[in-house]
Amino acid sequence: MTIRRTWWAWGFLALPILTYGITVVWPALYSFYHGFTDWKAVGGGDWTGTANFARMAQDPSFARALRNTLIWTVAGVVVPTVAGLALALGLNRITRFAKVIKSFFFLPLALSLVVVGQVWFWIYRPEDGLLNIVLGALGLDSWRHAWLSDPATALWAVMAAWGWQQVALAMVIFLAGLTTVPRELTEAAQVDGAGAWQRLRAVVLPALRPSFVVVISLNMINALKSFDIVYVMTGGGPFRQTETLAVLAYRVAFKTYDFGYGSAVSAVLFVVSAVIIGLFFAWNSWKDRHA
Amino acid sequence: MTNRSVALRRRAVKFAAIATAALLAAACGSNSGTGSDSAGAGEVGMVHYFSDEGGSKAMAKVLSICQAQSGQTIKNSPAEQEAFKDAILVQLAGSNPPDLFSYWAGAKTQYLVDQNRLAPLDDMWAKNGLDEAIPGSLTQAAATYNGKRYLVPIGYHYVGMFYNPEVMAKAGVTAPPKTWDELLAAADKLKAAGVTPFALGSKNRWPAQFWFDYLLLRTAGPDYRAQLMAGKAKYTDPQVAKAFELWKQLFDKKYFNDDPNGYDWTDAGDMVSSGKAAMTLMGTWISGYWDGNGVKAGERYDFFPFPEVAPGVPQAALGPVDGFAVAAGAGNPAGAEKVLACLASPEAQQAVALTQGALAPNPKADLSSQNEVMHRAAEEVGKAPVFAFNYDLATTPEMSDAGLNALARFVNDPAEAASVLAEAQSTADGVFSGS
Repeated sequence: MTIRRTWWAWGFLALPILTYGITVVWPALYSFYHGFTDWKAVGGGDWTGTANFARMAQDPSFARALRNTLIWTVAGVVVPTVAGLALALGLNRITRFAKVIKSFFFLPLALSLVVVGQVWFWIYRPEDGLLNIVLGALGLDSWRHAWLSDPATALWAVMAAWGWQQVALAMVIFLAGLTTVPRELTEAAQVDGAGAWQRLRAVVLPALRPSFVVVISLNMINALKSFDIVYVMTGGGPFRQTETLAVLAYRVAFKTYDFGYGSAVSAVLFVVSAVIIGLFFAWNSWKDRHA
Repeated sequence: MTNRSVALRRRAVKFAAIATAALLAAACGSNSGTGSDSAGAGEVGMVHYFSDEGGSKAMAKVLSICQAQSGQTIKNSPAEQEAFKDAILVQLAGSNPPDLFSYWAGAKTQYLVDQNRLAPLDDMWAKNGLDEAIPGSLTQAAATYNGKRYLVPIGYHYVGMFYNPEVMAKAGVTAPPKTWDELLAAADKLKAAGVTPFALGSKNRWPAQFWFDYLLLRTAGPDYRAQLMAGKAKYTDPQVAKAFELWKQLFDKKYFNDDPNGYDWTDAGDMVSSGKAAMTLMGTWISGYWDGNGVKAGERYDFFPFPEVAPGVPQAALGPVDGFAVAAGAGNPAGAEKVLACLASPEAQQAVALTQGALAPNPKADLSSQNEVMHRAAEEVGKAPVFAFNYDLATTPEMSDAGLNALARFVNDPAEAASVLAEAQSTADGVFSGS
């Protein structure tokens, strides 16, 4: 029986759509428009065509920010997904104190990224941070490092802090997904003599497909828009080495007062995100049709 | 489709359209309401960055003094300093800018003046006799832009070499160094005694600029530096290379703490007060920090002016000047000017200076209760032939971001001086090409 009461739905949707349009769509379009101007917030605003985008092509800061964003997206999808899956599989087998232990692993999700950034900023402090103290106590003095101010380690250190929270998210989703794995199938496979690894590959992982889609999309989206944790931990430093596209757009707009260029960078971030996420969903629906 | 569902659908469309129209009308209606919501008569909106502990106390006193003196109600809106730098641009760009707001003298104010965002204050200046209240050199440097007055200075800081007298004495440094060679000799003694000579906490980039500023001021002189700040000299000039060379010497001899980019200026201050390091090049606000931590002025901290490097060069004083300005589109400019006149008065300036650990532009402000370190700092500024603004206030915002970045890279690896300066110059070429 089809539901013909769609007109009620439009009535209810009118307010959210309007609010979304005013607060998200219109400012985004307005910002894209300014990417083609030399707007300085307190002045400027003349049309400059593609000058900002031409500047972007020559700007080493932009190249580094783009590189950082892409590295973050790749590593930020692979590592939390795999680690989250491993955690979920492990936690799924625990029966004693299961709820308590799962809550501990869930805790990072309850923190805001700013808090996560501040906590890990303290962990990474060169002299009195937890990480270096532990390394020293274990006798690994040569591994002690200025994690956040050494350009070689800064980005990975920030990504590790971000990943710490993302793993919790992945774990939660996989745990939920594991409850949907049909018991009869795993038991049948066991009876047929399949080992644990074979059961995983043949039964559990395919059943977790929907969870994978959710985890990968969420990780991808969160990685692409990384700003708060970078800003809190390093401010984009040391000397711009940890800037992502979002941090670059912010710095260029608010520190050098060049809102036109900042808007152009934001527009590029939008396009990059749309392409990556779009490709993922396209691949996903292709797999759905050909599975 | 049945007739009934078509009728229902038409009604739904009409319903949605009316709802949307009503919401739009309400939104537009309330918009025009907030547009004229700027301070009513007798009310002055004041936005400022004096929001830390000392700053809030200072502003509370100032508010009570100035509300009484001006007869206006002041709407106080403090913001954290870094957040303020961003928020003020947004506010000034909107149609409802604050009446009165604090700002830094120098290139930042020049920028706003060039964009016509500030109201000229010449009439108010003359009417309230501010030429008697604010010394001429400060008026010229901090208040006057493009020939007109735009900013009333409310406080300023002096950058000097703050040190721990106990640590210095124990290492055998009996008198504050007056020349570059004496400074190096003192650093040598400190290093031999196991103390880090200079503490630098440049995580937020700006603390490193004082070293660059003073080395350039003491070798090439204030006139050359002013040219560089204005884009008329180059970062690749030999004068700049010389200043960096001297600075690099200090890094090569390991006179700085390890990894300066990993620490904040307060960490560097703690290194000095705890005795791990001896000196830190910082502004007089560090006295407010140390006083708050119970470090006694004169006994456990003191300062000396940055030593002479090249003989015969004018010994300029360096520091930021804070002031208040009136936005061009302010809702209550008359009220704002009344409050501004009060802010230049000795009582208000005394309140700010005492609680902030700052120095007051108005010579009549009674600062006798400040500690002797601050008195001597004020004397130094009085003696100095020139008062210069630190780097990120002396050059345009676009250049200062790139410049601070260059300094951070240099502090990370002093061997990269040449490439760092070349990069700074290429940004400068772009920034100053229009002028």
